[in-house]
Amino acid sequence: MILEIQNLHKVYNNGTHALKGVSFSVKEGEFLVVIGLSGSGKSTLLRSINRLIEPTSGTVRFLGKDITHIKGEELRKIKSQIGMVFQQFNLIKRRSVLSNVINGKLGSLGTFNSIIEKYSDEVYKEAYNCLDIVGIGDKAKVRSDSLSGGQQQRVAIARSLMQNPKLLLADEPVASLDPATSNSIMQYFERINKDFGTTVICNLHFLSLVRRYATRVIALKAGEIIYEGAPSDINEAWFKTIYGEEAEEVEIR
Amino acid sequence: MINNSEVDLFPQKIISDKKKKSDKLNLVKAVLLDIFFVFYSIVVVQRAIYLKYILEIRDLPFSWNQIFILFVASIFIGTAWALSRTSLSCKLFGIAKDNKTTKWTVEIFAWFLFDITFIAGWIVTKISIVSIFSGEGLAGAERLFGAMFRPEFGIFDDALFAMIETIYIALIATLISIPPTLILSFFTARNLMKDNKISFTIYYVLRIILNFIRSIEPLIWAIIFSVWVGIGPFAGMIALLVHTIASNAKLYSEAIEGIEEGPVEAISATGANKIQIVWHAVVPQIILPFLSFTIYRWDINVRMATIIGLVGGGGIGTMLMQYQGLARWHEVGLIILMIAFVVWIMDYISAKIREAIY
Ligand SMILES: Nc1ncnc2c1ncn2[C@@H]1O[C@H](COP(=O)(O)OP(=O)(O)OP(=O)(O)O)[C@@H](O)[C@H]1O
Ligand SMILES: [Mg+2]
Repeated sequence: MILEIQNLHKVYNNGTHALKGVSFSVKEGEFLVVIGLSGSGKSTLLRSINRLIEPTSGTVRFLGKDITHIKGEELRKIKSQIGMVFQQFNLIKRRSVLSNVINGKLGSLGTFNSIIEKYSDEVYKEAYNCLDIVGIGDKAKVRSDSLSGGQQQRVAIARSLMQNPKLLLADEPVASLDPATSNSIMQYFERINKDFGTTVICNLHFLSLVRRYATRVIALKAGEIIYEGAPSDINEAWFKTIYGEEAEEVEIR
Repeated sequence: MINNSEVDLFPQKIISDKKKKSDKLNLVKAVLLDIFFVFYSIVVVQRAIYLKYILEIRDLPFSWNQIFILFVASIFIGTAWALSRTSLSCKLFGIAKDNKTTKWTVEIFAWFLFDITFIAGWIVTKISIVSIFSGEGLAGAERLFGAMFRPEFGIFDDALFAMIETIYIALIATLISIPPTLILSFFTARNLMKDNKISFTIYYVLRIILNFIRSIEPLIWAIIFSVWVGIGPFAGMIALLVHTIASNAKLYSEAIEGIEEGPVEAISATGANKIQIVWHAVVPQIILPFLSFTIYRWDINVRMATIIGLVGGGGIGTMLMQYQGLARWHEVGLIILMIAFVVWIMDYISAKIREAIY
């Protein structure tokens, strides 16, 4: 088991009880997709895993180690093994694509060298390699905010690949992209999952994407898991329970 | 580590607890503010309007006893008024009762405050239309303006050197201010310092110190430093430096507080340490605003350096002061023209540079 989560609760400072006792495990090499309505706690769950936020109670075990409340150096070490891709790409706009990708390596570079930006040839080679995996090696010197949304997300994926992550988290990585680009981005996640055996946990909104890429699905509703199983088992009835009676499925290809 | 009680609390309870607490705090604030309002009105009406204007007493009798009695009276009136929840302050803090009495008292009292303040202000400034149009006054103004339009070019060399001195004072003050301002701005940015108690305390203390320094005008700093290090350009430079650091640290730190959180989060998710996060996620977002503030500040400092010269800060201002003291209006005219010209040029240059970097 690469990740074990037990009875996880998160109460934000303003009193919002965003996770209410979530438990599940993830095996190495899985492509787990988390679905659920807006506000159901998907982002909160992902952020608790790589500890961008600290859970209120419960445990998160990563590779057998309890990381729920670790701090400092220990926490940074864990973070450097977990990649994360965001809906808004979160690149450093004014910097080149290459330096954005190298940023993914910061956790294992010395502070001083990373400040004067003195990187070894190996780091550069690795960065170009990651860019080639997502097919934009030719854009390395371009300013990252001059790229299209889909290209920016590919840079963000390359940045997380720089970490050699054991686990890759993606928080609605295609929610601000058009359907065609969405599919191509999802294919990169699929490739990374299949070729490198990287475990992927991904929040998604579109069921058609879920069916196509997920090996397993978890559905959250108001902070609780209400469905766990194969994507193909989500039928009309489950769909209505997860998204409400009013919902209607939209297709994207 | 598991803290169940926290989990089981209903969100509504936490929210309503917080609201009760803030209501109490607001009532305390309202009482204090109402006491001030009442005290202010009594003092203004009695001293400025009644004694000074209506009775035309020149030297007002002053006794702490009387002030004290007025103050005690204000405490009672103000407290009672605030507790009745119909006062102006209750309205301001959003805890007033919603009825006709509130509406009327608030409206009438607000107008009353505005009126007495305006009247007292008029009396204190000794506004007098007559002296603007008196014959003697007009003659003086004519002499001055006449001289200014026939400037004396004999002192042009000296004035030019003094002007260059002023520009350099401003430039050096601005340049030296950059490193300390940078460092201070990171320590006074809330989003970087709020995470733990120690850093938050540093943030708070630094903010108070900087606010204090900034609230003292460069002119006053120049007076202080001309006593400290002696009259001359150096005093003027330090005065500008101190004020520049304090004001720009605020602007810089506000720029830091306004950055996008996303990239910061993304970099911290890679396992980077705090210094790396600041350098690779915060700094790239603030470099341009910083540059722009600094250039603008140079422009401001040139203007301030001329003023600071008036109190012994060196440069063109000191020269202006000397010729004005000798009533040599033609020379004064030349200096004023030169100042206007340089300030205009600086304004133009700094605007152009700022446009170019964005
Ligand atoms: N920093 C925060 N402080 C307080 N409440 C928060 C915070 N972040 C999220 N919440 C609340 O927690 C709940 C779950 O939010 P979360 O962002 O995890 O949902 P989500 O499933 O990711 O939704 P979306 O699809 O809109 O991204 C929501 O009610 C949200 O308002
Ligand atoms: Mg979300």
